[in-house]
Amino acid sequence: MKYKDEIIRSMEWLADKDDTIFFGQSVLYSGNAIYNTLKTLPEEKRIELPVFEEIQMGMSTGMALEGLVPISCFPRFDFFMRCMDALVNHLDKIQEMTEETFKPKVIMRTSIGSTTPLNGGVQHTQDYTVPIIKMLHEVNVVLLNEPKQIFPAFESAYDRDGSSLIIEWGDYYNEK
Amino acid sequence: MIDKQFLIDFEIEVKEVYDSGKITAPVHLSGGNEEQLIKIFEDVNEDDWVFSSWRNHYHALLHGIPRDTLMDLIVRGKSMSVYSKEPKFYSSAIVGGIIPIALGAAKALKMKQDDTLNKNYYRDNERKVWCFIGDMTFETGIFYEAHKYTKNFDLPLQFVVEDNGLSTNTPTDKTWNGRRDRPSDVIYYQYERVYPHHGTGNWVLF
Repeated sequence: MKYKDEIIRSMEWLADKDDTIFFGQSVLYSGNAIYNTLKTLPEEKRIELPVFEEIQMGMSTGMALEGLVPISCFPRFDFFMRCMDALVNHLDKIQEMTEETFKPKVIMRTSIGSTTPLNGGVQHTQDYTVPIIKMLHEVNVVLLNEPKQIFPAFESAYDRDGSSLIIEWGDYYNEK
Repeated sequence: MIDKQFLIDFEIEVKEVYDSGKITAPVHLSGGNEEQLIKIFEDVNEDDWVFSSWRNHYHALLHGIPRDTLMDLIVRGKSMSVYSKEPKFYSSAIVGGIIPIALGAAKALKMKQDDTLNKNYYRDNERKVWCFIGDMTFETGIFYEAHKYTKNFDLPLQFVVEDNGLSTNTPTDKTWNGRRDRPSDVIYYQYERVYPHHGTGNWVLF
């Protein structure tokens, strides 16, 4: 299967779980490429949020503390930067802070913005994978380079304790 | 039943242990707001979530964390990040950070209560989320956004603003040159801090 098809297959697999919920920007309304990987999911599983990334990340943590598995969608890595406190100082530190009493399971999705056929420029195409890996200790970070990685990555994110950040390449939606 | 003297005595004991040098992490002692909190916690149910901040000892005790459990956490350096699975309690030591986490827990509860999720999987009740914040946190943008979302979606989240006028030692009034209006659905009270921002005045800054 192709890159985007594998992502769609993964989302449909996750949507079959009773405890998952998909939310963020462009999950229920079009506007970013990520929408095309979610539009086949049941509407009741998708919550469109206002644009407030820091709150979205904190909300994801709170929902996970209450036993849900949020698939928290940030359409671009550049936008994802706006949630750093909630990610780095909170979600990523919670297991150590609580002596592993709390292991919230949040599956974050973001994407390195595509450069073809349109190049979104420096505010829409950055790849922050390396610094993010250096900053995070408890959150598992996966960069999806090949289609064959995709389903196992989401399957593992759902099955493991703790949270995962899964990074996609926007250009591969069309290329691979 | 926890009374005012129980709370005061607990913090006196923490103070004594801290001053002895046995605690090698910061402590943020509570004091001066015993009566207000005892009253508020009359409405907090044992199954509710309570989210708090670096100054959380009174909230933890009043929500049902056993005295000895809390003291053990504090002595082991966990004063700023007190937690408990049962009763449900979590705290953050960064201004504003706890607010969206509380919001997410409330959103999850609401979805369960509304049967948004599979009702064969989730059977919920009337649980609620309580989020205790200080006056500087109350002035932040993250509170504004979270409160708006809470109100507009009728989430089971009760904010409580504990106003001692200071953030560490920075005066909220002077730095903002005023205050925002207080929404009617927020519980608000003022009190005077008994102890310094952290420690007892006899130890070190960090």
